[in-house]
Amino acid sequence: MTRSVSDPVLEVRGLSTSFFTDDGEVKAVRDVSFDLAAGETLGIVGESGCGKSVTALSILGLVARPGRVVAGEILFKGRDLLSIGREELRQIRGRDIAMIFQDPLSSLNPVHRIGAQIEEAMRAHDKIAPREVRPRGLDLLRQVHVPDSARRVRDYPHQFSGGMRQRVMIAMGLSNRPEILIADEPTTALDVTVQAQILQLLRDLNRDLGTSIILITHNLGVVAGLCKRVIVMYAGEIVEEGSTEQIFDSPQHPYTWSLLRSLPRVDADRHERLRSIEGLPPDLIAPPQGCKFNPRCPFRLERCFSEDPELEPVGDGHIAACWVTMKRAYAEMGAGSLVDTGPGAASGVRPPIAPVGPDLSEPEGQGLAPEAHDRD
Amino acid sequence: MTRGTLIYIVQRLAIIVLTLLVVSFVVFVVVHALPGNAFISQRVHGRSLQLLLHEYGLDQPVLIQYWNFLKGAIHGDLGVSLYIRGEQVTPLVLRELSVSCELGGAALIVTIGLGMTFGVLAAIRQNTWVDYLLTTLAVVGYTVPSFVIAGLGIMIFANFLGSVTGGAIAYSPVWTGTYGTIGELWLPALSIGLYTSGQITRITRASMLEVIQQDYIRTARAKGLREWVVTLRHALRNALVPVISILGTTVVGILVGVLVIENIFGIPGLGKEFVESILQHDYNVTVGVFTIFALLIGLSNLAVDLIYTVVDPRIRY
Repeated sequence: MTRSVSDPVLEVRGLSTSFFTDDGEVKAVRDVSFDLAAGETLGIVGESGCGKSVTALSILGLVARPGRVVAGEILFKGRDLLSIGREELRQIRGRDIAMIFQDPLSSLNPVHRIGAQIEEAMRAHDKIAPREVRPRGLDLLRQVHVPDSARRVRDYPHQFSGGMRQRVMIAMGLSNRPEILIADEPTTALDVTVQAQILQLLRDLNRDLGTSIILITHNLGVVAGLCKRVIVMYAGEIVEEGSTEQIFDSPQHPYTWSLLRSLPRVDADRHERLRSIEGLPPDLIAPPQGCKFNPRCPFRLERCFSEDPELEPVGDGHIAACWVTMKRAYAEMGAGSLVDTGPGAASGVRPPIAPVGPDLSEPEGQGLAPEAHDRD
Repeated sequence: MTRGTLIYIVQRLAIIVLTLLVVSFVVFVVVHALPGNAFISQRVHGRSLQLLLHEYGLDQPVLIQYWNFLKGAIHGDLGVSLYIRGEQVTPLVLRELSVSCELGGAALIVTIGLGMTFGVLAAIRQNTWVDYLLTTLAVVGYTVPSFVIAGLGIMIFANFLGSVTGGAIAYSPVWTGTYGTIGELWLPALSIGLYTSGQITRITRASMLEVIQQDYIRTARAKGLREWVVTLRHALRNALVPVISILGTTVVGILVGVLVIENIFGIPGLGKEFVESILQHDYNVTVGVFTIFALLIGLSNLAVDLIYTVVDPRIRY
């Protein structure tokens, strides 16, 4: 399947990352694969704890203990970031692939001046000539619209507002003209007007410098405003991927559909309650058998409890992992006029009384699977 | 330095002066209340004793004596020694202070050098044998009294090493000059510093472990900084604040160590004088030594509070 015209700069293949806790192995990311083309803007969305951030951290080898990438390949221009040496990986971090984080206050070092923190990002690599470092630092702050930048480089993070700090983070991320910028919830801690400014900034950067952007967020509005392509993650797996239009106009996975339905709308009936997805994301130590979304899915079938769906093409460059898909749900289950979105509400399928499937013999799955089903 | 900082310093200095007044008064009254006097051991009796007491003003009421002491002290004159009759206390105490500062300074270097190095190493190698070894050393350091370490050190490096090598390589526990050479200084400094560095190791380790969890450390790594830059420039700098806050008590610990260790190694500093002047009823010297000790503690605490502002820009007075 061809998703883009140009060759991908980043190819993630079968990435799995787990956290080895005292309670067991938390499979935070499971068998995730995607490509990022040069100059592309890719959004990764999902609820908290669905593995978005861990995917991003895995790319740069920044997963903290007790977490570890357990399988997969991350090919940056053909080099596998998971198998190269520490020094090689260090040189790619910040230089070729930069990352900005969710909370700009805790992500900036409180005891160093803003200017020093930006300059240090350049001095760590050889991309920017040493004598250009200082003027470029000032220039970057101007580019991200920090007023009075000549004076403010000498300030400390606590002297900046939230939006200004995130601009500093972006300036820092861009300082080495990276090919890929990974933005992990870059606007979450900011108020709406500042969010819009930051998004505009990212859009400009992508257009003017051709930087590829991976935007990680739980905010679908942010994705719609910036990204050309969207990946939807649930319980550590990709459940749907497609162009922004495909995802927003004709979502095929019930999870994506539910996410979009739960967006508050200004044109909605004032007395209508906000629709939420019932239930919680599954326990990643012992996830449900079959499709991970089955305990919350209104359209589930019998096979959803036993067989895990693979990502299958559902349109041009549009893939989803679902036995039903929304096309069928609309045609056969009346998804268009559905009021009750409780688990199994549209299909009428209840979970099997006794856990079924080959996993029965597994000692770990045995204890937790019935409980997970009872919750429904 | 801001105007606020200057005002803060002036306020603190005023408090230090007040403290010195109280300390000197209490010590003055207490030493004079001790039974006996400076001249007993010098076998002076009867009329000649009365003359001596009169000469040094010791026949006056204590409060008058204190007032006279204060009048001199304001001009930097702490009076004269009664034991080595006529010797000026101020230059004596200042010379002894410089000797103690040499020892205390060396102990402080040992404390900070060993303590922070061990603390950082233990933190970045958490739960490995390096961590266990260094933490154990730290516990041993601050549970074994300094005089035990000093005694063991003398046994090993002076006696044992001396007899094994036939005296070719041996530590000489006798302080030859006023100031110690590095060869003489290291063991007393280590004896004091092992105790205080144990505290610093534990605080540094705990503080580092907390800091390396922080988001800005992840940012530093994401920027592609080298690991030692991340550890020292980003983690250690932030981990320093709690370390500095116990430096104040560490300085007191070193002063106490100086008291004990100077008497073991015969180092002619304030600590040795502290003990001797009390035994000799040398009132003026005792008051002088105590006052200098109080001044040292006051100033070092002020220094610690000012270092905070250098390490953490969020702290301003």
